[in-house]
Amino acid sequence: MRRLMLLCLFIFGIGFALFNFKGLAQQGEFDSIIVDFKEEVPIAKISEEIQAISQQYHQLVNLNSIFSIDDRIYIVKGDKQVLKELKRSPLSKQTEYIEANYQYHALEVPNDPDYSKQWNFRNINVEQAWDETQGEGITVAVIDTGVSQVPDLKLTKLVKGYDFVNDKADATDDNGHGTHVAGTIAQSTNNGYGVAGIAYKAGIMPLKVLSSTGGGTVADIAESIKFAADNGADVINMSLGGGGASTMIEEAIKYANSKGVVIIAAAGNEGRNASSYPARYPNVISVSATDAAGDKASYSNFGAGVDISAPGGSETGKIIQNTLDPSSGESVFVGFQGTSMAAPHVAGVAALIKASGISEPAEVLSILKQSTRKVQEDHLNHFGAGHLDAGAAVKLALKGQITFNDFFRWLRNSGYLNPGFWLDGGAVALLPKLGMVIGSYLFAWFLRNYLPFTFGLNSGLIFGSSGLFFLQGLYIFDLPQWPMRLFGSSIPELGNLIVGTSSLNPLFASVLIPLVLTILFIGHPSLKWFAIGSSIGVAACLGISAIAYPTLWLLGGGAIARSYLMINALLCLGLAYLASQREKQRA
Amino acid sequence: MTITGTIEKKGFGFGTWALVAEDGKTYELKDAPKELQQEDIKVEIQGKIREDIMTIAMIGPVLEIESFKAL
Repeated sequence: MRRLMLLCLFIFGIGFALFNFKGLAQQGEFDSIIVDFKEEVPIAKISEEIQAISQQYHQLVNLNSIFSIDDRIYIVKGDKQVLKELKRSPLSKQTEYIEANYQYHALEVPNDPDYSKQWNFRNINVEQAWDETQGEGITVAVIDTGVSQVPDLKLTKLVKGYDFVNDKADATDDNGHGTHVAGTIAQSTNNGYGVAGIAYKAGIMPLKVLSSTGGGTVADIAESIKFAADNGADVINMSLGGGGASTMIEEAIKYANSKGVVIIAAAGNEGRNASSYPARYPNVISVSATDAAGDKASYSNFGAGVDISAPGGSETGKIIQNTLDPSSGESVFVGFQGTSMAAPHVAGVAALIKASGISEPAEVLSILKQSTRKVQEDHLNHFGAGHLDAGAAVKLALKGQITFNDFFRWLRNSGYLNPGFWLDGGAVALLPKLGMVIGSYLFAWFLRNYLPFTFGLNSGLIFGSSGLFFLQGLYIFDLPQWPMRLFGSSIPELGNLIVGTSSLNPLFASVLIPLVLTILFIGHPSLKWFAIGSSIGVAACLGISAIAYPTLWLLGGGAIARSYLMINALLCLGLAYLASQREKQRA
Repeated sequence: MTITGTIEKKGFGFGTWALVAEDGKTYELKDAPKELQQEDIKVEIQGKIREDIMTIAMIGPVLEIESFKAL
């Protein structure tokens, strides 16, 4: 009973998610429609039709471009309603197709009007990271001159901080530096105003340790680090430096690190061969600055202690955020430069990594370093591990994790997100098929994370496990149905076509076909992955069949059929394992 | 200590006043008085280095001014 309930919940969850998942077909934006006239329709007839459309909808109908003349492709302004009407109208008989002219967006681009000025965000490939996370649930402590909630920080979450300079709870900024730094980390984004921030759904903890003139004592800084660690900060950004070694700060850093806080500091602006304090302490990520061309910024420290580089800007291209002008107290969008600006880029990405489920500071650092774009010939260690890459960092952080995003992407890429797909399969076949899809996803996920992944593997998985089974329910007038059944069948089901029964043929529902495929293709660079994939897919199919409906032609539906299927499923898995091991050795 | 050099405004944050010494070393002036907030003037500053202070500018040792004279 409990199992049945769990199964129902599971199916309900998947079903709910799938029906709410909007593919391009449902969520795509369009404001025009493509009409492609058939070749045989005479030009005179086309112009007649076009005139009729423009009169009916009071819209101009134009060729898409001068290259569309031969293809007879015309564009009509219109929405969903117009598209529906056109498709139903007699006009559709004259056309090859009528479809929505979807607008494509490359990646998630925020609607902040001055986002285009943020070269630094493109530089760190942050859009790719935003597809996965925006830093939800993470708190970044900004140890600086304080943070004021300027207009473009209005939607950013500010948590309880402290002003160590004036000893009060309200840590408002009276310099403009800390607010700028906080902006890079979490400027309110997609609010149709100003500029963007990297981890814009993360919270900011304002800790004021520097006075209005931009200086502060090591005692205040050390206490603020401890405050951050004790009050739930996940990441600390210190765009400050100078002075000498301080045991008090070193101890505070050790404490925060032991509590899982990732600590980031600017390498310093002296243009010399060493990070300044506090960036040079152990357990602190030292960030050097690059300009818009990716070269080391002239002012940036380099060499000893530098872990990674990030955009800090230069005279020719600065880092723009919203802050306050200390002389007037008014909100301004202003470009700053310095390693002060580079550090919060890394702090923002560290927040994204933490939001992706990585908690240990050492692991966050290792992901930051591994995911950088490496710089060749960096003899003076200008760049540490290389240029910061937010997209690659988040991808690496998510590697080995099953996320909804990843699952849906896989479904989409495998062609499983066709809306008709789940309905046409029929209610009876749905449950086991669902199991097979999930099963082969899990295998695909496993292999992608632990073995080199190729396209062949993916298609092998599909044909091995479930086939393009939605095709089975497809009947088209005047066309034979057998090709649909063929491509709609998985490898173990192919035998059913010959005998014409619904029970599996023991010859096909076995390790035999994967074995033959493996022997044939093991020497081929890409086809062998199809063989390995099909082997795993067949394993999934047989395994599910053994549990769900163990019916075999000639062998019946009892324990014999069940163990036959189970043994063959295991053999398939073993085969895939052996074949992939061989690959590993060669690599 | 006494340092002779030229006043410069360094472009970090909204700007920081610095003393570039004759030997080329850059000092960040802690709370530079109005008289010293002019670029390219030559001065002699007597003061001490504050090892216990960190700043947003990070351009070099922080020099706390005790006295100064224009040259």
